[in-house]
Amino acid sequence: MKRDRLLSLAPFVGLALVILLIPLPLTVKPVTHVVTMTADQFAFDPPVLRVNYGDRVRLTLQATDVVHGFYLDGYGIETRVEPGISQQIEFVADQIGKYRFRCSVSCGTLHPFMIGELVVNPNLTFARAVGLTAVILAGTLFYLRRFPPREPREHTTA
Amino acid sequence: MRLMSEKRLDRFRLVEGRGELLAMVALILVVVVLPISVLGYQFVLRPALADVRTIDVMAAAPEAGGFQPDAIRVAAGETVRLRFSVPDVPHGIAIGPGLDLDLGHVDPGQVKEVDVTFPEPGRYTFYCNSWCSPNHWRMRGTIEVYDPQTPEALPASDGPDPVLESLTARGVDIDAPHETPMPPHGRPSAARGVDVVKQMGELPAVLTAPEWRRTLSPAKAWEALVTAGLSQAEAWDAVAYLWLAEMDAERLKRASTLYAKNCAACHGEAGDGQGVAARSLDQHADMNMLEEPVAFNNPSTMLGGSGEIYYAKLRRGGMGTGMPSFGPIFTPDETWMLVDYLWAFVFDLDPNQGP
Repeated sequence: MKRDRLLSLAPFVGLALVILLIPLPLTVKPVTHVVTMTADQFAFDPPVLRVNYGDRVRLTLQATDVVHGFYLDGYGIETRVEPGISQQIEFVADQIGKYRFRCSVSCGTLHPFMIGELVVNPNLTFARAVGLTAVILAGTLFYLRRFPPREPREHTTA
Repeated sequence: MRLMSEKRLDRFRLVEGRGELLAMVALILVVVVLPISVLGYQFVLRPALADVRTIDVMAAAPEAGGFQPDAIRVAAGETVRLRFSVPDVPHGIAIGPGLDLDLGHVDPGQVKEVDVTFPEPGRYTFYCNSWCSPNHWRMRGTIEVYDPQTPEALPASDGPDPVLESLTARGVDIDAPHETPMPPHGRPSAARGVDVVKQMGELPAVLTAPEWRRTLSPAKAWEALVTAGLSQAEAWDAVAYLWLAEMDAERLKRASTLYAKNCAACHGEAGDGQGVAARSLDQHADMNMLEEPVAFNNPSTMLGGSGEIYYAKLRRGGMGTGMPSFGPIFTPDETWMLVDYLWAFVFDLDPNQGP
């Protein structure tokens, strides 16, 4: 009886293992992204860069009002951009995940909030996490439907 | 039963009296001695002990007050220490003209100092050289260097600029439009122009007059060359060569640095008038930025003007157009260097001259 219950979950456990362990291909053909990014008080435009693993990013940074900086977490790239002197940055997105870039020059009152992000896809960890959550959810629903919990006995005080 | 013996009560009274005295001393210490010692140290003892006079300058954006103080008086030969700090956004600090004193950028929280000595009486400008606001160019202060013999006398001014004087004397209106009716097709090239000029042998008279490169407009020179028998395209190539002939790699490099620091924010890095500051022009209609920045790569507006007109505009400013006056910042030589650099936006440089 108990064994039946556990066995009924076997397909879900199998699926979860597949999601966790399957080596997904990373090889989307790398391309070069040429982006002109402006930095003004207190935002980057575009605020989010989405690229694929292995892509080359050629970034031209322009400050439009005061001096700004650009620091990319994870990649350790830093530069200082003065209005009128644009800066070129080039790097290969060789680390998967989401990385923040932030202004690295104290540029005014809201400077700490001048943040953007670089998303390097495919974010496998994230995809696996989503898949795993879905499987666990499906498994739970299936289990509860198949083996409904017993109704709690009513306590009568008569 | 008595609460306190007579003796203890006496002692208590004594303590009470002493307590009042102590309180009084503490009060005097806090209210009088402390401020006197703090202020005395800051304003009397510290300057007296320092080997040089230190002047603290707060460098804020012009809307927030600019340089504070914005006027400094120094005796000729006296060494002063200027200490710059910044409360709002990053600024760049430089002192000029012609002093080669650039402290680089000062970020909020940073302090930069420099010891300066001005041997001769005169006027100097300390200014922000890193774009900090739409009013950036207004961020200037003066250093008045007086003669210690006659401290009351105003320092002699440099006198009017001879080029501007001569333009005024000749009745030249530097603000008049100067369109070229026949601009070149394509970009004239200095490299091709070398051969054209070599083959030509003798140049027309206007191109041998003294100071021709400064007083003559390229369009006028082109007319003279076409009259002398060159084809239109050849004549433009020859003009390109003649106008860029004095540029060498070193001057080009210095000029491009000056351009990037001072001009590119409005006129664009490519000289197309589309600089980052020009984008927000309509938002700053109240700030005397009344006209769009001039495009230096437009041959029909550029080639009709002579070098001295651009020189005059640079030094005097644009009078209500939003163009600052760079006279108090650049030396005449630096101004000419920039004027020469402007030609490189309409003419192709000879690759041998390249930076």
